[in-house]
Amino acid sequence: MSDLTLLTMHFVRRELRNRYLGSISGGLWALMQPLAQLAIYGFVWAYVFRMRAPGGDASPAAIVPFLALGVWPWNAFSEAITRSTTAIQDNAGLIGKVALPRWILVLATAAASFLLHGLGFCAVLLLLGLLGMHVNLLWLPVALFVFAQLFVLALGFAFLFSAVQVFVRDLSQVLAQLMPLWMFVSPVLYSREYLPAAYRGWFDLNPFSFYPEFLRATRLGLGGIGIQAAAIALLVAVVTLGVGYGIFRRLDPRFEDFL
Amino acid sequence: MTAAITTPPADNADLLIRTVALGKSYPQVFRPRDRLRALGKLLLGRTDIDSIPVLRDVSIRVARGESLGLIGENGAGKSTLLKLLTGVLTPSTGSVEVRGSVGALLELGAGFNPEYSGRDNIAMSAALYGLDGEAMRDKLPQIIAFADIGRYIDEPVKHYSSGMVVRLGFAIVAALRPDLLITDEVLAVGDESFQKKCVRWMEDYLDGGGTLILVSHSMYHIQKLCRQACWLREGVVAAAGDVFDVTQAYLAYHERKLASLTEARTISDQGVEFYLLDFTLNGVAAETPIFVDRGGTVRARTRVHSRDGRAPVVAFGIARADGTAVYGVSSEMDQVRPVAESSNVYVAEIEFHDLDLLPGAYSVKSHPMDSEGLRVFDTLERGLVVRGNSRELGLVRLQHRWNDVEPARNVDTRAVREARG
Repeated sequence: MSDLTLLTMHFVRRELRNRYLGSISGGLWALMQPLAQLAIYGFVWAYVFRMRAPGGDASPAAIVPFLALGVWPWNAFSEAITRSTTAIQDNAGLIGKVALPRWILVLATAAASFLLHGLGFCAVLLLLGLLGMHVNLLWLPVALFVFAQLFVLALGFAFLFSAVQVFVRDLSQVLAQLMPLWMFVSPVLYSREYLPAAYRGWFDLNPFSFYPEFLRATRLGLGGIGIQAAAIALLVAVVTLGVGYGIFRRLDPRFEDFL
Repeated sequence: MTAAITTPPADNADLLIRTVALGKSYPQVFRPRDRLRALGKLLLGRTDIDSIPVLRDVSIRVARGESLGLIGENGAGKSTLLKLLTGVLTPSTGSVEVRGSVGALLELGAGFNPEYSGRDNIAMSAALYGLDGEAMRDKLPQIIAFADIGRYIDEPVKHYSSGMVVRLGFAIVAALRPDLLITDEVLAVGDESFQKKCVRWMEDYLDGGGTLILVSHSMYHIQKLCRQACWLREGVVAAAGDVFDVTQAYLAYHERKLASLTEARTISDQGVEFYLLDFTLNGVAAETPIFVDRGGTVRARTRVHSRDGRAPVVAFGIARADGTAVYGVSSEMDQVRPVAESSNVYVAEIEFHDLDLLPGAYSVKSHPMDSEGLRVFDTLERGLVVRGNSRELGLVRLQHRWNDVEPARNVDTRAVREARG
């Protein structure tokens, strides 16, 4: 077990290094990119579309924490999935020469995304706290637990997609188109209330919906999340991981033949 | 197959590698659609994917302290076998059992990341072999000294020459000292002094009880480092056993192949009077050598095509693997006529019984000659290995006896010495 932990940590380090190898700003970029994204979305939403955060706070600045609680989970989730989809294919050279448990490659890629965006998320919360928002330290562990649960969900998709990608190379292209679509049908940049009442229920079918909604409900007091919804979300995450990993293991022995 | 596997359990305890009827097929995927179909079949748990076998029915066993050389032409399945042994590939049929730690150098720069420096790649390889930070720091100076690539150790591997990559890869494996070392044609890339260094290291490693599987096209390296050899030909084991027997059979096969290439041309070009249709030893037509116990029987049979329907003279000969002639005889010398099988085809068979050749590798040759027994038209050659243990010297056992000698008395040794000059 300690060997596998060592190997996993090694590949996470390698993944983080590979992303910023040769770039001057290095790991700082991980924080800068979502911050810039947040600033752009905030500007467009508050000043161009003149949208106000739900919950009665009419000041334009109130949209920023609302967006932050959607953008960070989504970035971690979508980046983990898109990057790990090619994790096996990108390491074909290594897989063909060294015997190693291949699932570590997928785990490390997904974990690296969550590590970076998780840290960015904490940094942004602290920043918002400094800017005068109320930061409840007791809430942070709850948020991190939900982040970990989101990681489980993402890992399930990552296993499934990385295995299928070995056989059908179109998958990563298709995902590049589908992920933005997925974002816009999720409560990332807006909330359920913005939809016509007839369509609001559809968000329940989207496994990602729970995460921004839970964070906003507990942090900003927007809407309510029942214990039942939380239990279902946890179950969905665990089942997704189980199914994804099961399919990955079934295809694993044939990877080398198709790479 | 199973009969060959049963051995006393005491022997099994020291077995590092055992493969049973091992086979590997690669799927046939020409169009993207085939990949989708293969995916669907695999998801449904079916295994009937169209595939091309590259390795069939390979059963080998390597015990601790043994050294096995793998030889064969390009595409014979050597690298596939190594990948199956290291667990990089999953077998299609049969099974592989590997015990102990395995260090593998498959192709160039096993798993190096070209963007990383040599030093970082050492750390990565160490992690792959399950070495943590501290054990790794202890070995680092040793690895850098063995690789001996100077300041390049801090340069990215993409700036390395292929020789430097091999140096680094070998240095890592050398420092790890695995129970079993598997190397694929790594010696060919290094320069002379590094090759010598590697060979010396491997000899030392073998003396220290290490186990080696070496793939090489250099028979010199194979014979120097390995005691056993296995010849793979088109995915099956063509011959396995003592390194000298197998390498000789392999080299002889190459000579025959080269010769038959040139012969085939002359026959079709000129339509010669006589040429050989086939040549079997004890009924075996394959070009792999046949094995005969000392004192056994060899039956050589050949079919000759005669352009004009005239009966040919057929000659048979035996030579040692290095070409030294042992014996030759023709049908004309013994006043025998080959049997006509049809108007243009003649058959001749000769039997050497109570074969008194000393153990070793030989080749049996067959030639058609014109009806007068003057001109040789064609040659086919087959390998013959005589098995047995003997410390006698030479090629054949001559009839002999040791006589009882009456000891001579009062001999003047000085007179004897003068008499002998």
